[in-house]
Amino acid sequence: MRFAHLADVHIGSWRDPKLKSASTDAFIKAIDECLSRAVDFVLFSGDLFNTAMPPVDLLKIVVGKLKSLKDASIPFYLIAGSHDFAASGKTMLDVLEEAGLAVNVVKGGVEENKLILRFSVDEKTGAKITGMIGKKGMLERSYYESLDKTNLEDETGFKIFMFHTALSEFKPKELEQMDAAPLSLLPKCFDYYAGGHVHYIFDKNEEGYGRIVYPGPLFPCNFKEIEDLGHGGLYFIDTEKDEWLEYFPLELYASFKIKLDCAGMNPNQVEDELLSLVNGKDLSNHIVTMRLVGRLSSGKPSDIDFNMIHSTLDSAGAYFVMRNTTKLTGEDFEEVKVEQGSVDEVEGKLIREHVGQVSVENLTPEDERIMTEGMMGALSQEKREGETKTDYEKRLKEEIDRILKL
Amino acid sequence: MVKGQIVGGEFSKILVRQKSDVDVELGELMIAESSGKKIMMQVYDLLFGSQISQQNLELVSGLQLEDGSDENFFDSELRNYNLALLKSLITVDSSGVKISKSMPSFFSKVREVEKDDLKFITRPKNPFFVGNLRSGSKVLDVPVYLDGKSVLSHHVLVPATTGRGKSNLTSCILWDNVDKSYAGVLVLDPHDEYYGRDGLGLKDHPSSGSVVYYTPRNPPVGAMSLKINIRNLKPQHFDGAVDWSMPQKDALSFYYKKYGREWIEAIVMEKPLDNLFNEATLAVVKRKVMGLLDLSFSNFRLGCNGVFDLSAGETTIGDIVRELELGKIVVVDTSNFGGSVEILVGSLIASEILSRYRYYKFKGELDDKPVISIVLEEAPRVLGKEALERGPNIFSTIAREGRKFKVGLFAITQLPSLIPRQILANMNTKIILGIEMAPERQAIIESAAQDLSNDNRTIASLDKGEAIITSNFAKFAMPIKIPLFSDLVKKQISESVKKDFSAIR
Repeated sequence: MRFAHLADVHIGSWRDPKLKSASTDAFIKAIDECLSRAVDFVLFSGDLFNTAMPPVDLLKIVVGKLKSLKDASIPFYLIAGSHDFAASGKTMLDVLEEAGLAVNVVKGGVEENKLILRFSVDEKTGAKITGMIGKKGMLERSYYESLDKTNLEDETGFKIFMFHTALSEFKPKELEQMDAAPLSLLPKCFDYYAGGHVHYIFDKNEEGYGRIVYPGPLFPCNFKEIEDLGHGGLYFIDTEKDEWLEYFPLELYASFKIKLDCAGMNPNQVEDELLSLVNGKDLSNHIVTMRLVGRLSSGKPSDIDFNMIHSTLDSAGAYFVMRNTTKLTGEDFEEVKVEQGSVDEVEGKLIREHVGQVSVENLTPEDERIMTEGMMGALSQEKREGETKTDYEKRLKEEIDRILKL
Repeated sequence: MVKGQIVGGEFSKILVRQKSDVDVELGELMIAESSGKKIMMQVYDLLFGSQISQQNLELVSGLQLEDGSDENFFDSELRNYNLALLKSLITVDSSGVKISKSMPSFFSKVREVEKDDLKFITRPKNPFFVGNLRSGSKVLDVPVYLDGKSVLSHHVLVPATTGRGKSNLTSCILWDNVDKSYAGVLVLDPHDEYYGRDGLGLKDHPSSGSVVYYTPRNPPVGAMSLKINIRNLKPQHFDGAVDWSMPQKDALSFYYKKYGREWIEAIVMEKPLDNLFNEATLAVVKRKVMGLLDLSFSNFRLGCNGVFDLSAGETTIGDIVRELELGKIVVVDTSNFGGSVEILVGSLIASEILSRYRYYKFKGELDDKPVISIVLEEAPRVLGKEALERGPNIFSTIAREGRKFKVGLFAITQLPSLIPRQILANMNTKIILGIEMAPERQAIIESAAQDLSNDNRTIASLDKGEAIITSNFAKFAMPIKIPLFSDLVKKQISESVKKDFSAIR
C-alpha cells in the first residue's frame, strides 16, 4: 500500500504578492508528485485553506488539482482543520466532497450521548480510514472525550486515524504555549496516525498506538517557519518497505537565514556586518530571512539603511527578503511589546495573559479562556448569503447562549 | 447547656467541677461568660473528685466487693463527681477575638459551645476548607476555613500514624480546591489514589477540567502519558534523588558543561571529557544514570524504556507548571517508580516552579499568580535530617524560602521527628491527626504555632478523621472533624451535560 500524507497548506495565508501563490504552488507540486508516483490515495490532515471561505481564484486551482487526482482514480481523504471551519460549522470542504473530489472521513453519529465514528474504506487497498476534525481553541477536545473508541480499536485490518490536534506529549519546546490534547484521547491500535495542525516534522512509533506522524506545513506560513523549516513537505508511505516513511521536501525556494546580534554596534556597523554576510553569495531563487536582535550602541533601528541592504540582496538574486527587528532596540530604548506568531497564537497569548483579572464565581481561568475564545469565534461569524438579519442575529444569539451556558 | 462550674486552678489549668448529668470529653470546647465577654476553653484532661476521703472510698468499695453489700453513697452526685482541666483559648468581646490574657470569674458556670459563640469563624476570601469544628467527638455545624493563599504558601504539615486518615484528609482538601483559582496544587502521588483511576477521586469532581492527571501507565481517556525528555534534565535535579560521591558529582557537572542539553546521551555513549576522570568513576556514573532513567544502549542507539524519553516530553514540565499557574490540580502518578525516580521527577517540576516564580517576583508579576502547593508524601525522604546531610535539595530550598515566592509544601509524614526542627517550625500550619508514638507527638507539640503543651493526651486520643489544626493563620488550635471523602464526593457529583456534536455528519 502506498499513500501520501500532507497537511496544513493554508492556501491564501501569505498576503505579500511575491509569496501569495507559494502555498498554492506547493499544493500543485505536491499533487503532481502524488500523481507521478501513482500513490493509492492521499491523506490530507486539515487546514487546506487559511480561511473558511477562500477566494474563488484559489478555490478554482485546488478544484483543478483534485480533479486531476480523481481522474487518476486517486482518492483524496481529508479532515477539516481549525482554519477550514467557520464558527457556523460550515466548511468549503463540504463543497469539495459534494462534488466528488474529496472524501471527508469524519463520519459517524451519536448514540446514547457517545460519539460513534465510522470508517471510510478505500476500495483499492481496503485501508480503513477515519478521523476527527480540528477546531479553534482545541474545542474538538469534547468530541474526543465523548468518543466511543471500542469499535475503532476492535476493528481489524489496516487502519488510519486522521487528526488535526497537537499532542501534549510530543509538542516541541518552541510550541510549548500551543493548546494541545493528551495522546490518551486518541483511539489505540491504529497502524497510522496522520496528524496535522502542528507545523513541525515528527514521526514516532508509539507503543499501544502505532506510527504517529506530522508532516508539517506544505509551505512555511510565517517568518519563523521559513527561518526554522526553510521549506515544507509531505510524507510518502509505502507499507511494503522496511522503512515506511519517506519525507519529500517541497523546495519551491531555497532559504538563506541571517541572524545577527547587534548588541554594541552602531547602525553603520550593522550594515557592514550584514553586507559581509551576503557578499559573494548567489542567492538566486532564495527567500532571505534577516532577524536582528540586541540594543544598538548608538542611533535607532530606523537609522539602518535597509533599502541599501535589500538592494544588495536583490542584486544577489534573492527572490524575497523578510526582516524581523522586533527585538532590536535603539540607544534610547523604549520597550514596545510586539508579539510574534500567527494571529491565533497572538490572540491566544493575549487571552491567556489576561484571564482571571475579573473574579467570577464558579468560573476558573481555564473556563474563562475557553469561553473567551468561543465568544471570539462566535462573534467573528459573518452573515451568510441569503440569510436575513433576523436569522443572523438569532443564530448568533443561540451560539452565544450555548457558549455562555445560558 | 451548663456543663460545670469553675472551682479552682490557675490560668493554664482551670479546674471545673462537672455537672453530674452531663458528659464531658477530652477536647471539648466550653464557654464561660462574664462581664460581657466570652472565654472559650478546651478540656485537656479529666479526673475524679470526691468529698469523701480516699480511705473511706476504699472502705466502701471493699464493702461492695467483698461483702456483696449494695449500700451506696447518700447524695452520691454531690459527694462524688468528675473534674475537668481546661485551658483558656480565646476571649470574645465586643472588640473582637483575642488570645486570652485573663481568667474567667471564679465559680462562674461553664456551658457547652454553641454555633452562636463561633460567629467569628468566617469564610475568608480564599477559603481553604479543612473540616468542621469539633467539640470533643461532637461535630459542630461550623465549617472551618483558613486563608488558603497564606496557609499554602507558608507550608502545611500533616503528621499522623498510619490509618488515621491522611489520605482521606488530603483527598478532601484537594477536592475542595479543584474549583479554587487562588492555588495550583501539584500532587506527587506514590499510591495513585487521588485521581481515582479505579474508584472515586478527583476525576469525579464537577469541575474535573481543572484536574490534570499524568501517569506513565495506560492513561485513562483525557489523562496525559507521563513522558519527560531527558534533554530537560540538569545535574541539580538529581540532588536528593541519588547519592553521588564528589568525583561523580563533578563528572556530571563537566558533562553538562561540555555537552549541554545532550549531556545524558554523552554519558551513556561515553563521550570524552576534557578533564581527567577515573574510568571507574565514569562507569559508575553511567550505570547509575542508565539505571535511574531506564535507558538502554545497543547498536549505537540509545533506547528509552521508561518515563524518560528522547523524542517525547519536551514540554511536559512546562505544561505542568503552566497548568499549576492556571490554578489547576496536577496529579502525577508515581506509583510505578522507585523512590529515587519519584524524587527526581518531583525535583524537576519543583525546580521549574520555583525558578518561574522567582522570575515573576523579579518582574513584579508574582501578585497576579496563584500560590502553588506541592503535596509530598513521606516527606522525610527529602526533608529528613539524613537526606539533608547529603546536601540541600529543591524541597528543602522551598521549605526554607518558598513562601517568599508563593510556593509551599504540603508535607505528609508518619515520622515528623525525622525532620529538623528548623524546617518543622517553618511549616506554619499543622493538621495533626492521631499520633501514637510519643517522640513524634513531642516533635509536633514543640513546633506548633499554638501552645499544645497540654495536648499530648488529646493528640494520642484523636480518632480516625479527627484532627487538630494549629496555624499562624488560625485564632486558636482548632479541633476539627474531616468529612469522609466518599460522602463529600457523592454529594457533589453532577448530572452529565448534554453534548453538542454538530460538526459530525
